[in-house]
Amino acid sequence: MGARRSTRTGQQARGSRRFARSRPELLMPPWLRRLVVAVLAVTVLVPIGYMALMSFVPNNDVALGIISTSVLTVRNYVDMWSAAPLAAGLLHTVIIAGSAAALSVVVALLASYPLTRFRFRGRRVYLYSLVALQMVPGTTTVLPLFAVLSWVQTTLSAHLIGTYFPIIVTYMTFGVPLSTWLLVSYMRALPRSLEEAAMVDGCSPLGALRRVVLPLVVPAMAVAFVFAFLVGWNDVLFASVFTNNSTQTLAMALERFSSTNEIAGAPVYGELMSASVVTTLPVVGLYLLLQRYLVTGLAAGSLAG
Amino acid sequence: MRAATPASAASVSPVQGSYTEPVGGPPRLRRFSWRWWAHSWRDRPLWMLLPATLALLLISIAPVLLMVWLSFLNLTVSTLRQFVTAPFYGLQNFVDAFTEPSSLGVTLGWSIFISFAFSLMATVLTAPIGLIAAMSVHNRFNGRGLVRAIYLLPYIIPGIVTALMARIVFMNNSGLVDKVLGGLGLISHNTYWLLGPHAFWAMELTELWSSWPFIYLMALAGLQAIPIEQLESSALDGAGAWQRLRHIVLPQLSNVLKLAVLLATLYHFANFTLVFVMFGSPPPAGAEVLPISMYYNAFDFFNFGLAAAIAVITVIILIIPGYVYLRSARLAKMEA
Repeated sequence: MGARRSTRTGQQARGSRRFARSRPELLMPPWLRRLVVAVLAVTVLVPIGYMALMSFVPNNDVALGIISTSVLTVRNYVDMWSAAPLAAGLLHTVIIAGSAAALSVVVALLASYPLTRFRFRGRRVYLYSLVALQMVPGTTTVLPLFAVLSWVQTTLSAHLIGTYFPIIVTYMTFGVPLSTWLLVSYMRALPRSLEEAAMVDGCSPLGALRRVVLPLVVPAMAVAFVFAFLVGWNDVLFASVFTNNSTQTLAMALERFSSTNEIAGAPVYGELMSASVVTTLPVVGLYLLLQRYLVTGLAAGSLAG
Repeated sequence: MRAATPASAASVSPVQGSYTEPVGGPPRLRRFSWRWWAHSWRDRPLWMLLPATLALLLISIAPVLLMVWLSFLNLTVSTLRQFVTAPFYGLQNFVDAFTEPSSLGVTLGWSIFISFAFSLMATVLTAPIGLIAAMSVHNRFNGRGLVRAIYLLPYIIPGIVTALMARIVFMNNSGLVDKVLGGLGLISHNTYWLLGPHAFWAMELTELWSSWPFIYLMALAGLQAIPIEQLESSALDGAGAWQRLRHIVLPQLSNVLKLAVLLATLYHFANFTLVFVMFGSPPPAGAEVLPISMYYNAFDFFNFGLAAAIAVITVIILIIPGYVYLRSARLAKMEA
């Protein structure tokens, strides 16, 4: 590591014009790299910084565009909890997204074992349909699910829409294929010799799954859980149809908050931004923890909503 | 070797060994008999697929099929609860969708046009940005980890937060864009990004801002798969930087990039949250993409049959790129 760093600085000193010959692995001359990084970082950070700044500015000042450092206050972060049902929304999100993710991971674990360990007719079709199902946009399933639920509600005169049940089930639409896909690609890479050894010693496949495979796939299950959880955390579409005031998720509370107006007629932008910051921070933390798994997870879940 | 790269981490074996699958593989399917069945329950537990299969059939596949049926019904707020007995409408919903402006004031043709313009433009513009971004952090330098984290931020911020952020950034007169660009004299202070004909561009710019890291992630994964020896030996053979990029790097990235571009387009096409949250209700005509059109027709104007027809059209449009994606998934050797 130390040696590599010293050669690099030594070669950098020779000037970037000669980079092509001296360091063939470089895809960009250092000056160009610095320019690209600077431009992109500024483009990314300016709106985020603006949002963060506005979260410390009183509501009316944001709407009027009066921004001076003398009025910065943390009051938004205090007042927002009473202005919108954010705490309740957070609780509902944890319940809804958490149960949907947990159920998805369990179902996916059961499915991924036979999919990686046994050869059977239709296995390939099954794997392909998992990929295909991830591409079905939520806007095409929300309406029929709503129709069925209203029909069931009327027929059984039961109360469904607005309870936890339908929203948990719909989040599994994305959670199950996503987690199965993650677990299949992980489990496929596990050597079978361990299970075979267990089975030689008299373990059934189910026992081998429980005693040998399960401890090994716990990391992949955690990743699948987080990705499935974030689907629920970020969703607005299904939450706006299937939840009501007593079950609304954090994203939904934020959405409704954004369309309520203050007396002056302008939305409460300052508190809206502080609530946005609070909604964002856990997600950013989780993603940065899971950076290594992003490509599989995002490619699979990018169509969720 | 610590697998810190997104691509290799996904597929790397947790146990570093060179295990290869036995040639014969697991036992093949046999003719049915009860004895075999009892044996297979224990030794070939395919029943473990049942929960996932049931879940996917009931909450994913059945709804899509049901939606096709709904699109043939005259389904309003009064008939929805009893949609089983709702009057049959034939293709009238589709005819209405294309010929009559919906309560939003636009026809389906317009929504399709906006959706295509929105998603294709986003893909075409984010692809080079993502590629250049990936090239800029591929080689080691001080602070690379931080830059990579910054690059990820727009993508991992929840869609609803991006949309709310866009609302204050594009706010008329007092927002960041009008203040800065208006202050420089480039645009009027009263551009009304969120209301009139500029809405499309506000939406497009926000989508560009939030979605280029997807291409970046995929391209970075592709770059990391290129062996460094190829670059070194081509440099020895006298290839310049541009030639190496053109003839060594880009050809090897093309498969990953194709997949990324396809997925990104599908993702733009399905983006509901951005438009729904960014604009007021109802959204301006320039922002009426297909998901929004479906949603408002169903849940604001309660014309469920028409909304189902729009959803069916969306699925039909997505079938071709979806098929291409599945084909490329086969290329990526997704089967064990």
